[in-house]
Amino acid sequence: MRQFFRGKIGKIVLATGLVFAAIALCVWLGSRQRLLPQHYVQLTLDGMRGGSIYALMALGFVVVYRVTGVINFAQGEFVMLGAMLCLTIHKLPLPLPPALKLIVAIIAAIVLATLIGAAVERLTIHPARRSPPVTLTIITVGVTITLRAGALLAWGADPYVLPAFSTLALEDHIFRFGSVILQAQTLWIWGTLIVVLVLLYFFLEHTIMGKALRACAVNQRGAQLVGINPGRMSMLSFALAAALGAIGGIVLGPVTRPIYDMGLMLGLKGFVAAIMGGLVSVPGAVVGGLLLGVTENLAAGVTNPTYKSVFAFVILIAILLFRPQGILGGTGQATEEVK
Amino acid sequence: MSIRSKILAIVTLLAIVGLDVTACNSGTSQETGQGVTYKIGFNSSATGASASLGLPEAKTAEMIQKQINDQGGITGPDGVKHDVKIVIYDDESVADNAVSNVTRLIQEDEAVAVVSTTGSGTTIAHIPVCEENETPCISMASAQPITVNADTGETYRWMFKTPQTNGHAGEWQAAYLKATGVSSVCILYTDDGYGKDCLANFKATAEAAGLEIVYEGAYATSDTEFSAQIAQVQASGCQAVEVGSTPPVASLATVAVHTALPEIPITLGHGVCNQAFIDTAGAAANGTVFPCGKITVLDQVADSDPQKTVLQKYIDDYTAFTNGEPISTFGGHAWDAVEMTLNALESLNDGMSLEEQRTAVRDYLENQIQGWPGIGGVFTMSPADHNGLTKESLLFVTVEDGRWVAFPESEW
Repeated sequence: MRQFFRGKIGKIVLATGLVFAAIALCVWLGSRQRLLPQHYVQLTLDGMRGGSIYALMALGFVVVYRVTGVINFAQGEFVMLGAMLCLTIHKLPLPLPPALKLIVAIIAAIVLATLIGAAVERLTIHPARRSPPVTLTIITVGVTITLRAGALLAWGADPYVLPAFSTLALEDHIFRFGSVILQAQTLWIWGTLIVVLVLLYFFLEHTIMGKALRACAVNQRGAQLVGINPGRMSMLSFALAAALGAIGGIVLGPVTRPIYDMGLMLGLKGFVAAIMGGLVSVPGAVVGGLLLGVTENLAAGVTNPTYKSVFAFVILIAILLFRPQGILGGTGQATEEVK
Repeated sequence: MSIRSKILAIVTLLAIVGLDVTACNSGTSQETGQGVTYKIGFNSSATGASASLGLPEAKTAEMIQKQINDQGGITGPDGVKHDVKIVIYDDESVADNAVSNVTRLIQEDEAVAVVSTTGSGTTIAHIPVCEENETPCISMASAQPITVNADTGETYRWMFKTPQTNGHAGEWQAAYLKATGVSSVCILYTDDGYGKDCLANFKATAEAAGLEIVYEGAYATSDTEFSAQIAQVQASGCQAVEVGSTPPVASLATVAVHTALPEIPITLGHGVCNQAFIDTAGAAANGTVFPCGKITVLDQVADSDPQKTVLQKYIDDYTAFTNGEPISTFGGHAWDAVEMTLNALESLNDGMSLEEQRTAVRDYLENQIQGWPGIGGVFTMSPADHNGLTKESLLFVTVEDGRWVAFPESEW
């Protein structure tokens, strides 16, 4: 029996069984809450919106972890910085038409956040580069606190508004399919995730810099021997992670109300998503993010929404206990690859 | 390397010294040869998690100290002049510090009365200190257990508080919903202290008014998706939604409810009486109704209101004292607490012992604060009510075209 579940077919049977059991449980609990079919659609759509942001965050975790072995807990703060910088630049009295102004603000915010990401690596990780990854990870916790405190000084404790991309105003276009609601910004978020994935693929597969980054991730020593500077790759990975985080923050901005401490929970959820993907795989991070978003929203909808975040962290513990290589990772070796 | 560590040591030293200088903030006490100098203890959360509430409170205390100094102290009924010194401490939003600060104010600084503190939890922590040392303490936080012993249901002898409570807000919300013909309500709230207090008070007043609560749903302050709560609101089929939160999540929840159910009436608590709510909720805020402290909506307060002149004077004074910092309702709670204490001190003859002074101040607060117009409302204390406010201390408003407008009972 045990042998069977270790084989390929056995695993597929087991996974399918688990999925069906989860869906059945979900429907049973939902019926007790008197939920209608459109509610499940709504929960899934909204879960995919949150999940797309988690996916972008998880990509940031993966990029840094693969190259440096560091879990960058400041990832959530890059999201906050992206949203805050974007809305601050957008509020500047630039003599530009509204649409162009938003585009300028978005690009400037991404560039600034990327530079901050690179600066963070140079100022905190680089001087301690000979320390073990655990030390560097703890340094990133310090960076998180510093960035959040800095944001509190710069922007205060008040929430801000970033206009929706489609209407350039606080109120977004809303598509209604029966009683199912879809905000136009949700489409922007999904579109952004796809574009980012395509660009990331192109960068990693088809540019020298991207190939160097990958080489460094696969084997740092080997990469060094062929003339790749691991220090610079470390900086590049932080810059890339900051850019990914900032993009997430900017597209999320209009559906939330950016505030200085928004990065905390997002960072943790992004970390859960990255763990679900096994921490080393780009597709894993995306699947992990989306799955996390949908699962927590559906679970909250059919039970008690108070415990929404609890579901995310239960998933984290379950994954770490039973599938540390991630939901997509085939064997246990993926996580070892880095060292 | 050694130079580096030396510089580091010097910088650290400077930082510590700098902190001390700002933290001590010692005033000068001049001997005038008149009556004794009265000391009022003042402890708020000027730093830490509740800093945005506690800092305007501390500044209000500093402002009152300056006003008393300028007018040369206070005069008792026997004509003896007394200097007043307000000893100001910061508990950093930590309960342990609140306890030790209040202990120090009572035992070492020999304060006649203590105004403390910003948060409900931090206040509740120091109740035993005030009770055991038989010293009147006035809190600037609103929770029910601050003045009423939760176990016995009795009012504490030495504890008072000045803010309007969620109970007062709940009375408005329930009365409004009842008047508009609603019979079943959903409540959405933040799973923090404020949200839970909203839930408890709204539930109590709504059920007393004969409304049925058909759904209670919580969310975290960091949530951005509310489809889980909305689905259950829709499934429960309630006729109105009460949102117990502060911005930004109050705005997001309001937008989510308004988007899914554009027709449903939405009531909120007095935690949204700030520009941030209207700015971040946009059009969804229009048509929502909620009670507000009058200081936040002064332009909507009638000129005949007994509080109007007090409110206007506080706003002018505070703006001048802080060079234009925004007015906060929390500074108002501090003003009420300190001014009440000053009134009590003005009723004392010279030559009383500290214990006699403390008892006299307590008795004055309980029995002589009658129809007393302050910032939070018109106070009428009694042995059973150490808050002294009614729901009339809050002004019921609605939002029209992005600004709040008074919404009196006659227009419901």
